[in-house]
Amino acid sequence: MLTIDKKSRDQIVAEACVEEFRKKLGPFVVAVERTRMAMVFTTAKQPDNPIIFANDSFLKLTGYARDEVLGQSFNALIGHASAPDILGKLKSAFGDDNEEILESTCNRRDGSVFWAAILIGPVRDADGNIVQNFISFNDLTKHKDELAQSRMFIDELNHRVKNTLSTVQSIVSQALRATNDPLVIREAIEARLFALSRSHDLLSQEIWKGAELNGLLTAALEPFQDASRKSGRFVITGSKIHLSPKVTLALGMAFHELATNSVKYGALSLESGSVSVDWAMRQTPNGERLIIRWQEKDGPVVGLPSRRGFGSKLLERGLAHELDGNVDLQYRSEGVLCTISFIVPKDDRDE
Amino acid sequence: MLVVEDEMMLLIMIEDMLSDLGCQSVSVAATVKQALALVGTRPFDIAMLDVNLNGEMSFQVADALVSLHVPFIFSSGYGADALTSKYYDRPLLRKPYSYHDLENVLQRVCADGTGGRRRV
Repeated sequence: MLTIDKKSRDQIVAEACVEEFRKKLGPFVVAVERTRMAMVFTTAKQPDNPIIFANDSFLKLTGYARDEVLGQSFNALIGHASAPDILGKLKSAFGDDNEEILESTCNRRDGSVFWAAILIGPVRDADGNIVQNFISFNDLTKHKDELAQSRMFIDELNHRVKNTLSTVQSIVSQALRATNDPLVIREAIEARLFALSRSHDLLSQEIWKGAELNGLLTAALEPFQDASRKSGRFVITGSKIHLSPKVTLALGMAFHELATNSVKYGALSLESGSVSVDWAMRQTPNGERLIIRWQEKDGPVVGLPSRRGFGSKLLERGLAHELDGNVDLQYRSEGVLCTISFIVPKDDRDE
Repeated sequence: MLVVEDEMMLLIMIEDMLSDLGCQSVSVAATVKQALALVGTRPFDIAMLDVNLNGEMSFQVADALVSLHVPFIFSSGYGADALTSKYYDRPLLRKPYSYHDLENVLQRVCADGTGGRRRV
């Protein structure tokens, strides 16, 4: 804490001067006293620009009491939190008509630091000599915090875009490897691109905090619904489960592949066929395990596929890898059964 | 070769690229824990590390590889700032990258005795 020795005569005179103004100048004084902008007056007649007046806002901003501040040099009071070059600029701003606004970190009484935009302006007497300076502070703390948050959002956005581009690169690459037929290539790329896009739409609805499993399935399976059928091709059963953006994107792709394969070779290739999807949560020592079952029925008799396409690779290896869980894809003769199980982190579950 | 990458779509593409490059066996890990377990149990000629694994940084794996004298490269969707100062001179593939980018970097790291470090 700063201590003030017995005040010099000049200091006493300067403070008395301010008192005079207070009595004489009515509304202007009230304005300076009451404004929410922190303000301070210093005298130019003494070295180091000691403070002769401080308004309540200044005391509130810095945490000082008035008698701790009067007579203190401005730089000593606030300045030790400043960068050396700013400190230099602050010093030279006294007695300068420049009126440049300087951004600097400042100390509060308790040692904590805040950002302020500081304006130092001269007060001249009738002969034009600088007798005092006034200093106003704009607390920039909130502004700086918002800037830092924006920067974080932009970095995160950039990262997401890069990831999306890599995913699209993968989608195109897979389609080109699978076949030479341009129509098939186009269809494969478009179908997966739109699946990715649907997952993005779903995530945007909750500003990328995640999505509900139910909503995800509905969105992923929407293009496979048959409007002409009276009963739905899909029966979806399960409680409300909240998933992280990463899991949402991974499962979105997986459900799309399951449905695509079903339309080509499985239950959905027949009018009579349908898919039921249900899930449950199970408590385990490692956390809560989500188990999702995709069961196809009333389709053609299923045999083992002669070739493992991208879809199967994605489901059996990719999905298990990304979710750090298990994926079991069984080609049962009565219909494909895919079981996806993984631990859902606790913070993902909070909505 | 060890590939540490958690995004499944990207992983499948990497495996295809490596197979085209003639890489005969690829082990994959999605987390630092999985990667360290693999590094501890089998020898690798070379490794590729995604810097950010779903929020977890992979530098611990890099440390383990350095102690075993296994050359490696980093990949990242973030910029060059992603690398911690200790590994600032290591090759970094920025996502998305092409097959040729991967090929060039891996060849450089394999051929170069210093493990492909950029000369700073």
